[in-house]
Amino acid sequence: MKLLKYATYRLLQSIPVLIGISIITFLLANLGPGDPVSLMLQGQEQNEALVRAIEQRYGLNKPLHERYLTYMGGLLEGDLGQSIHYRRPVTDLILERVGPTLLLVLSAYAFALVTAIPLGVIAANKRNEPSDHASRVAALIGVSTPSFWIGIVLILIFAVKLEWLPSSGLIYPWRPPSTYRSIDGHLELYYQSLRHLLLPMIALGTLQMATIMRVERTQMIESLQGEYVKLARAYGVPERTILRKHAFQVAQLPIVTIVGANLSTAIGGAVIVETVFNINGMGQLFVDSIQQNDYQLMMGVTMMLGVLFVLGVIVTDISYAYIDPRVTYGESE
Amino acid sequence: MSSEPLLRVENLKTQFFTEEGTVRAVDGISFEVREGEIVGLVGESGAGKSVASMSIMGLVESPGEIVGGEITYKGETLFGLEEGPDGELRERDDMLSSEEIRTRIRGNEIAVIFQDPMESLNPVFTVGGQLREFIELNRGLPEDEARTEAIDMLREVGIPDPEERYDEYPHQFSGGMRQRVLIAMALACEPSLIIADEPTTALDVTVEGQILDLVDDLQEKYGTSFIWVTHDLGVVAEICDRVNVMYLGEIVEKAPVDDLFYDTKHPYTNALLNSIPRPDRTVTELEAIEGVMPEAISPPSGCRFHPRCPDAREVCKRAHPEAKTVADADGEPHQAACVKHDAFDAGYDQSSPLEGAAVDAGPAAVEEPESELTANPAGDDSGGEQRE
Repeated sequence: MKLLKYATYRLLQSIPVLIGISIITFLLANLGPGDPVSLMLQGQEQNEALVRAIEQRYGLNKPLHERYLTYMGGLLEGDLGQSIHYRRPVTDLILERVGPTLLLVLSAYAFALVTAIPLGVIAANKRNEPSDHASRVAALIGVSTPSFWIGIVLILIFAVKLEWLPSSGLIYPWRPPSTYRSIDGHLELYYQSLRHLLLPMIALGTLQMATIMRVERTQMIESLQGEYVKLARAYGVPERTILRKHAFQVAQLPIVTIVGANLSTAIGGAVIVETVFNINGMGQLFVDSIQQNDYQLMMGVTMMLGVLFVLGVIVTDISYAYIDPRVTYGESE
Repeated sequence: MSSEPLLRVENLKTQFFTEEGTVRAVDGISFEVREGEIVGLVGESGAGKSVASMSIMGLVESPGEIVGGEITYKGETLFGLEEGPDGELRERDDMLSSEEIRTRIRGNEIAVIFQDPMESLNPVFTVGGQLREFIELNRGLPEDEARTEAIDMLREVGIPDPEERYDEYPHQFSGGMRQRVLIAMALACEPSLIIADEPTTALDVTVEGQILDLVDDLQEKYGTSFIWVTHDLGVVAEICDRVNVMYLGEIVEKAPVDDLFYDTKHPYTNALLNSIPRPDRTVTELEAIEGVMPEAISPPSGCRFHPRCPDAREVCKRAHPEAKTVADADGEPHQAACVKHDAFDAGYDQSSPLEGAAVDAGPAAVEEPESELTANPAGDDSGGEQRE
């Protein structure tokens, strides 16, 4: 139960962080240029009385701190206010859009881990051989190429030229579009879902993959030089087992850290990849909110991304404590 | 004991091929280990002790390689070369393959205890799990029996509450306790020979004493032979039966332990003995060995110790002595590689002393009594070849 206690402790610790995020986003959204009232009155005849009435209704005539407190009050009840552009509750919009983004980010990480870890291990094992050099070049390219460019190139090759994969949109297994409802069986649905996911997943995951691969290689090389590997060899442990178990296990600890630390890059990247692939996720919602000067939506999405990031970091910390026996759960022994 | 020794090392040469040149880390050493005895391998840091022991296990890491000599264990060839039809040296047919050495020799026949107990255990596995894995692997026991064996072994090496501690991780153990675990590992595989590579160097003196007592007891109980690699002559005196003193990749003196201490034949051994504090002598200053050990990449000509030797003469710069029997110690040969002994007949007595010889200026003062024998802590760069 130490784990549960630690998790609770970390969740409580995150409250001040979230309050901080809320203050900063609130200030940025409200002090930024653009006037929400004129946005609401777009195309209509503007008169003083109408503007006053709208300001009255949304509480825009009150001082900033009072408005913040009102906003926080709503936040505690799960009410993120009303989107001006969509004319719907922000909470509803976010709940609709958070699924695709999570699907994209998580599958990008899955892709990155599944490819990067074996490649990193191979590179470490074949240190300074051609395959190691090849992986180094590939990683360098992966790190230095922006995800939108990778996305566009992937679309050009696999969607436009070869016509193997669709170029835009996602299909969510939990919310199949009407065109696929007629298709019999879940298998086809999952297949279509995967086909749509493949390109954006690779576009978003490449950066993570390249980073993880380099860290994996470095860690494996270090681990393979460890005294415990020498000991295992001296006791006749086969080289395979040393690579897969003795050296490998120790080398994975920093990978967890990297995954957690890069979460912000991944979420930021998702915003761009969603735009490139026309995916209706949080990223697109965010871009819309900025373009439409929809300050309620902007705050809502930022808060939500902040919560996702904080949760991700907590999960990282907990799994670190779970994997590494030397990390204690914040209590002295 | 005229029967075949447990381990025989003959003219072993291990070299490291680095960019700066070939490092002759082990340069033609010969020694043997008989059943039930503890053989010391003594020398300063860099003398080639560890490389020698890793060569026996076939665990020399690249760019290192065994380039010559023969290692025989229980009549089987662990390493041996012969001249092929093309005149090139090749590995002998009767030499065990690396796979055979891994499965049949490492762990179950020859086990090791490494120097650093803090780093030698894997931090992410439980102590018991690591012990059990090696027992399963080397004795072919099923998991539950290996577990029982592991717990018994932990108790045997003096770890309290072995059942509970079995499931703990290395970081929950102290340095001394970890070294006990490593000893348990070695013994649990029931090898005939254990190579202990400076196993007490990282421990404080009290714990070192406890570990030495433990090894003494267990060695008596199990009859396991040991190669004890150390730089500490105090440990040698306490634990070893026979001693090989190494300098720059060569064995310079070889004798039963008492003869080594009371009838020292090589000036290097003598210098080592003079550099340690002794309770039976009142000294105000310790005699450090002049200079530092030269690099094994370009060893001095002649006798490799001559630039630092207090007894060096002109002949020492030219003649490179192989160890020869210079005295008899109750039927055991007492060997030394120094031309000042009559057995060499190299004209030492007629040779003139070296100019500016190292120790003419008198013994260098060392302020702190260090147990580490590495000489001259002041970092005197003028050591070694430059004095020639």
